[in-house]
Amino acid sequence: MPSSTDSISTAANRSFRLWNRRTHIWIGLFTLVFVWFCGWTGLLLNHQWQFAEFWDTRKQSSLEREIVAPPSANDLLQARDILRQLALTGEIEWTATRGDGGQFDFRVSRPGQIIEIKADLNRNHVSVQRIDVNTWGVMRILHTFTGVRMDDPRNQRDWFVTTLWAYTMDAVAVGLILLVLTGIPLWWDRVPSRRLGGVFLATGALSCGLFWFGLRWIY
Amino acid sequence: MTRTVHLYLGLFISPFIVLFALSVIFLVHSWTPGKGTKAEPPRTVSNLQLPSDIEKLSGRPLIDALRPVLASAGVQGEINWVTHTAEPNRFIIPVTIPGRLTTVTIDVSKREATIESKTTGLADAAITLHKLPGPHLVGMRMNWIYIRLWSWFADATAYLLIVIPATGVYLWYASRSDRKSGYLCLLSGIAVFTTLIYALIH
Repeated sequence: MPSSTDSISTAANRSFRLWNRRTHIWIGLFTLVFVWFCGWTGLLLNHQWQFAEFWDTRKQSSLEREIVAPPSANDLLQARDILRQLALTGEIEWTATRGDGGQFDFRVSRPGQIIEIKADLNRNHVSVQRIDVNTWGVMRILHTFTGVRMDDPRNQRDWFVTTLWAYTMDAVAVGLILLVLTGIPLWWDRVPSRRLGGVFLATGALSCGLFWFGLRWIY
Repeated sequence: MTRTVHLYLGLFISPFIVLFALSVIFLVHSWTPGKGTKAEPPRTVSNLQLPSDIEKLSGRPLIDALRPVLASAGVQGEINWVTHTAEPNRFIIPVTIPGRLTTVTIDVSKREATIESKTTGLADAAITLHKLPGPHLVGMRMNWIYIRLWSWFADATAYLLIVIPATGVYLWYASRSDRKSGYLCLLSGIAVFTTLIYALIH
């Protein structure tokens, strides 16, 4: 006759299996379109497929406009003021070091659209150059659209939609790690698949490890 | 069959998924824990056998010409963008192995190379691998056999990120369990994705 400790242990084990399976399914289904998107756009970035060409077909336009010079403030507030006057939104990117004069240049971008702003604050004048790219370009840019760059502390995320997108990417990344972690017990529960599954997992781990830290040891 | 594909290919690709997922977090936050912590003392290699026309070369032919020179100096890895300065006559060659960056400065007139190497850590290695092969320097990249090999694994990971979730959806649907909650998760994910894309583009 099983002891009460065994019963509790079995119940806990059953409960863990149930919730582990559910977590695997729920995370997998929630992240489905994000994961497909990341895989597909990753392929687009790694291959210069002719059908996905976007730069040669870009549309360029420009305009000149008078503005009210923004009040003296930091660069970000001044840039936002200019964008408000131009009815533009997006991630602000600093492309030039600001000099002492009235020239104030920056870029504002969002997936599919890159806008170069050259403002002469002494003359209350801006010239705007706009580039629009097709859907393939939008997809490629979305894959790398984080608002920050490695080793470039000047450019920080300043558009709330970029921040939302960035944290969603974090969530998808954590979701993928959880899918792996919840997948391991699901495999282990299938006793006949343990050995072959172990071979696949070990082969993957060795291959990945070779690139991640093995090459540095070998060479 | 669907379960077999989902299970075994999923297990194989799991370590790659962890690598890509962790590097996403590093890239999104421009954060490289442990980078640049160990710089090795520079070393010099003399009497290099340089091709006579090396200054006239550029792009892939230059990389192909530099490869044996670097090998003779004991440097292996993916050669990145090479800078040539006329005065002094030098080549500055960054060479990457995931987790290590080596900068080789070749003084053409002296036929001498100064080699500076620094360990950049596991996080930087993951970021490097995440970005390879990538869209830049198409004619030059994948000039080291291991990076060429990696590009196949990176592609395989991307393809399997499409196939494995598809098999997962089929398995969930066929199992007839967790239907309501599953639909809720699936539709929520689609709704969040669509809303975000709309907000980013419009």
